[in-house]
Amino acid sequence: MKSTVLQKFLTETGDIARFSGRFFVEAFKPRYEFAELLRQCFFIGYKSLPLVAITAFIMGLVITIQSRPTLVEFGAEAWLPKMVSVSLVREIAPVITALICAGKIGSGIGAELGSMKVTEQIDAMDVSGTNPYKFLVVTRVMATTFMIPILAVLADAISLYGGYLGTNIRGVCSWDLYWNQVFDTLTYGDIIPSIAKTFLFGFAIGIIGCYKGFYSNKGTEGVGQSANSAVVISSLLVFILDLLAVQITDLLNLT
Amino acid sequence: MIEKSNIDIVKDNVAEQKPVIEIKNVFKSFGDNQVLKDFSFDLKQGENVVVLGKSGSGKSVLIKCIIGLIKPDKGTIKVFGQNIPDLNREELDKIRVKVGFLFQSNALYDSMTVRENLEFPLRRHSIKTTKEQEYGLIVEALTNVGLADTIDKMPSELSGGMKKRIALARTLILKPDIILYDEPTTGLDPITGKEISNLMNELAKKYNTSAIIISHDLNCVKIVAQKIVMLIDGKCYAQGTYDELKNSTDPKIRHFFE
Repeated sequence: MKSTVLQKFLTETGDIARFSGRFFVEAFKPRYEFAELLRQCFFIGYKSLPLVAITAFIMGLVITIQSRPTLVEFGAEAWLPKMVSVSLVREIAPVITALICAGKIGSGIGAELGSMKVTEQIDAMDVSGTNPYKFLVVTRVMATTFMIPILAVLADAISLYGGYLGTNIRGVCSWDLYWNQVFDTLTYGDIIPSIAKTFLFGFAIGIIGCYKGFYSNKGTEGVGQSANSAVVISSLLVFILDLLAVQITDLLNLT
Repeated sequence: MIEKSNIDIVKDNVAEQKPVIEIKNVFKSFGDNQVLKDFSFDLKQGENVVVLGKSGSGKSVLIKCIIGLIKPDKGTIKVFGQNIPDLNREELDKIRVKVGFLFQSNALYDSMTVRENLEFPLRRHSIKTTKEQEYGLIVEALTNVGLADTIDKMPSELSGGMKKRIALARTLILKPDIILYDEPTTGLDPITGKEISNLMNELAKKYNTSAIIISHDLNCVKIVAQKIVMLIDGKCYAQGTYDELKNSTDPKIRHFFE
């Protein structure tokens, strides 16, 4: 019997859920792969920083420049740092960081594990006394889960700096005044939920990239498909998780 | 000629040896495709057995079942007396130290140098060695395959034949008792294929290993096989020496040698 699109979707969702569940079983059992975890943190965190920093800076600058005319119309130009800081910290910096990482890291993991799968390197690891899930998946998912929040915090800071420059392109706002306004506006209710959701983004990006790569088939064509679908699914998941996180934050009156 | 005489000597000893691998009534299917149907055979200590069969006949599935990468649906696969499908990960790892596996695609880790590729099984199997001993083992393994000067190269810098030799060195570094070769000469030119086949014989003699070789390259089969097992329709259809099977009147067997 030909399986329908819905059946395929449900089967894949179940497989991803099982694959994610295995992470929690394997992550806490020895042997712990600290060296590989650090290597992945370096590649995923440090190597993604320039791209995240440039994007965050530009987003901060552009949002400030775009928001200014509307505020000027209402005579509320002085509110620019307040408004921009809330937008950037609550939503724009974490989501843009996650999307950049979904593109860069998600596709990288999907393609790397996919090519390892089709060239039997994963099987070679298995016969060399290594649990490939633990060595390849657990380390990468942990690295994305812990590095993306750090990148998001840095993106917050860099985008706010971009906002400061944007504020001073058409107006005048001193360094001290800008940061005083920013920190007067921001509360823990803005910062903590926005950082908390980046852990979920990081986990989703890592697990989808690994899942797609780990179960890649059809040779080199399959590697391309793995990389592509890793980006598409993890980007979509970032938005879905963002939506859920915002709803939960709202229900808990944290905003 | 030299290889033939060696084989004859070993063959006399083999008959008295007890099996190191015993495969009994193994079944494996993927969906509706029944790949192995009641497959049985034994590998004795010091024996080089070639499993010959068409592409897609289940040869690779068979050796992946032996090393525990694929679980058979039914049947027993005993390696050194232990039934592979019943073993947990730790027990399997202990067996895998004694059983080397040469992958068809070499499976060298792209992101690691030749040295790191060879270090990997030593470190992962927690073989207790000092840095100097580890280096000594790597150099010995590379010297065995004639590529000691490639130690710091990346796999992408090597030719197909060199990659195969490095993969063989990585398989041999743990000094396994049994080696499973998955199409060792596929994708190589006839001269390099012959060099690899001769190397397999030399190393088997040097380390006294047993081997199961999956191949449909008759030049390789002729050089390395002490015994040939014909895998046809998922079963052990026939077994014998190269000459016995070549002179068979059975059309299914003759088909391979024509």
